[in-house]
Amino acid sequence: MKNTPPPFVGFGLGLRTCYFEEILDTEPNVDWFEIISENYFVSGGKPWHYLSQIKERYPIVMHGVSMSIGSTSDVNFDYLAKLKKTIERVQPLWVSDHLCFSSLGEFNSHDLLPMPYTEESLDHLSQRLSIVQDYLQRPLILENVSSYLTYEVSEMSEWAFLAELHKRTQCQFLLDINNIYVSARNHDFAPQEFIDAIPESAIAQIHLAGHSDFGSHIIDTHDQPICDEVWQLFEQFAKARMPVNTMIERDDNFPSFKEIMAELEQARGLAPASWSKHEYA
Amino acid sequence: MSTLKKLQHDFVAMLQGQNTTFTEHIAKQNGLSTAQRGEIYQNAYQIRLKKVLEQDHEMLGLYLGDELFDHMVEEYLSQYPSRSASLREFGDRIPQLLKSSPRFKEHGILAEIALFERLLLHAFDAADSPTLQLAHLQSIEQSAWPNIVFQLHDSVQLLSCEYSAVESWQALKNGGSPPSPNQGGLRHWIVARAPDKRTGFYPLSQCHFQCLTSIEKGLPFGFVCEAAANVVGDQQQGTLQVMQLLQQGIELGWFIASPQGSQ
Repeated sequence: MKNTPPPFVGFGLGLRTCYFEEILDTEPNVDWFEIISENYFVSGGKPWHYLSQIKERYPIVMHGVSMSIGSTSDVNFDYLAKLKKTIERVQPLWVSDHLCFSSLGEFNSHDLLPMPYTEESLDHLSQRLSIVQDYLQRPLILENVSSYLTYEVSEMSEWAFLAELHKRTQCQFLLDINNIYVSARNHDFAPQEFIDAIPESAIAQIHLAGHSDFGSHIIDTHDQPICDEVWQLFEQFAKARMPVNTMIERDDNFPSFKEIMAELEQARGLAPASWSKHEYA
Repeated sequence: MSTLKKLQHDFVAMLQGQNTTFTEHIAKQNGLSTAQRGEIYQNAYQIRLKKVLEQDHEMLGLYLGDELFDHMVEEYLSQYPSRSASLREFGDRIPQLLKSSPRFKEHGILAEIALFERLLLHAFDAADSPTLQLAHLQSIEQSAWPNIVFQLHDSVQLLSCEYSAVESWQALKNGGSPPSPNQGGLRHWIVARAPDKRTGFYPLSQCHFQCLTSIEKGLPFGFVCEAAANVVGDQQQGTLQVMQLLQQGIELGWFIASPQGSQ
C-alpha cells in the first residue's frame, strides 16, 4: 500500500448537522468538509439527503471514531464492510480513524482508549493496519488521541511510538494539535517535542479543536474555542513545515457558523503564504 | 494472555465498574493519582452514554423525571452495555429493559413511550427509495389489481399502544402535562418519514391498521381488501377504505414505487 501524504487541498471544517442548511444556503469559503464516518452507516434520510448535496459542491474526507484498530479482539469485518460501503458511496479524498482501542469483544466503550507504547503494540498495530488497508484497498490515516493516563508498561514516549510506527508501516497521521496539548498538560511534557518528532512525510492532516481546562487536568471536550496555546503551536508548525490539510473540529456546544468560520479564517491567517491552496492546486 | 490483551481486558472491566486491578497498570505521575486518572475514563464512559439516551429519549426523560431516568440509565449500562460501533443503536434495548425491570415493568406506558421514540429514530434515517405515485396506480391494468403487492417504505413503522404513550409524548413535547396512562383500549399508529424528510406519526383506524399489517406481510391487494371488509363488515366499504389508505399513503410516502405484479 503506497502511503504518502494526500495533496494539499486547504482548510476544512467538520461537517455537523446543525450547519447543514447554512452551508447549502451560503456556500461558505471552505476547501473541504470532514464527516464522521459512522454517522453515515445509516441507509438514508436527512444525513444522506444533506451530504449528497454538500458533496456535489465540496470535497469530503471521512473520519471514523469506532474502528478500534488497536483492539486485541478479532478484526471486526462487519464494521469494515460498513465502512467500505460508505467509502464507495462518499468517495472521500482520504479516510482516517484513531490510534487507540475502543472495543473489546462485543463491548464498545465509545471512547478513544490509549494504547501502551510498547514493542508489542507496535507489532500489533502494524499487523492490524496491514489487514485494514488491504481490506479497504486504500491507506488509513491515524489520529493521535488525547490521554489522561500513561501505562507502567510503556517503553517509549507517544511521539517516539508514532515515529517508529511510521518507519515500519509508512502510515500517515492526522496530527491533532489540541490532543497533543491536552496530553502534554496531563502528562507534563513539552508539546513542541512531540510535534518535532513526527517527520514531515508522516503528516496527512491537522486537527485544531478546543478543550475544557480543570486546572489539575484538561479534558478533550471539543466544545470550546481553540485556546491561544494551541494556536501558537499551529502557527509554529505552519511556519516550519510544508502545507498540511488543516481542519477546525467542533463536536459539541456548537457556536454560530460565523464563529466557526472565524476560527477557520484564523487558521488560514496564521499559515504562511506558501500554504495558499492555489499554489498547490 | 498477552500483556496488551490483559491491559485492555482490565481497562474494559474498570469502565464497567467491575472489581479490577486496572490502576496497577497506570503509571504514577505528578498531579492526579492513578485512581483519579482511571476515574476520568470511567466517568466519561457513563456521561457519554447517558447523554445519548437523553438525546434519543427526551420525552421519556421528562415523563420519568431526573431521578428515575438516572436509575434507568444505571440499570441499562449494567445490563445492556453497548455492542454496536454506532451510538445510534445503543438505546435499542431500552423498551426491553423497561418491560423487564422490576422498577419499571408495572408501568407499561414507559416501554411504549421508549418504543415510540426508537421508531421515530428509525424512520429518521431509514433507507431512501422512490415512493409510489398516483401515476403508478393509473397505469395498472384493472385485471391485475387483485394480485398487486404493495410494499411499505423502509421508514414505515406500525405501533399499537395499550397506553396513552403517543398522546403523552405529544403533550410533553408541547410543554403540557401527559394524560392518564390508561386509554381504555388499543390504539394504532403509523410512524414514517415524509417525502420532505420530516418524520411524522398519524393515528390509524382499526381498518387501516389491518390493511397496513396485511401489506407488511406481503399479501396482495385482493387480500388487503378482504381484511378491510372483515373489519368494516362490508366488501364495498372495505375496498373504499383501502383506496383511501392508498391515497393518504401516496401523499405521505408510505409505499415504495413499482408495486410487485403491476407490470
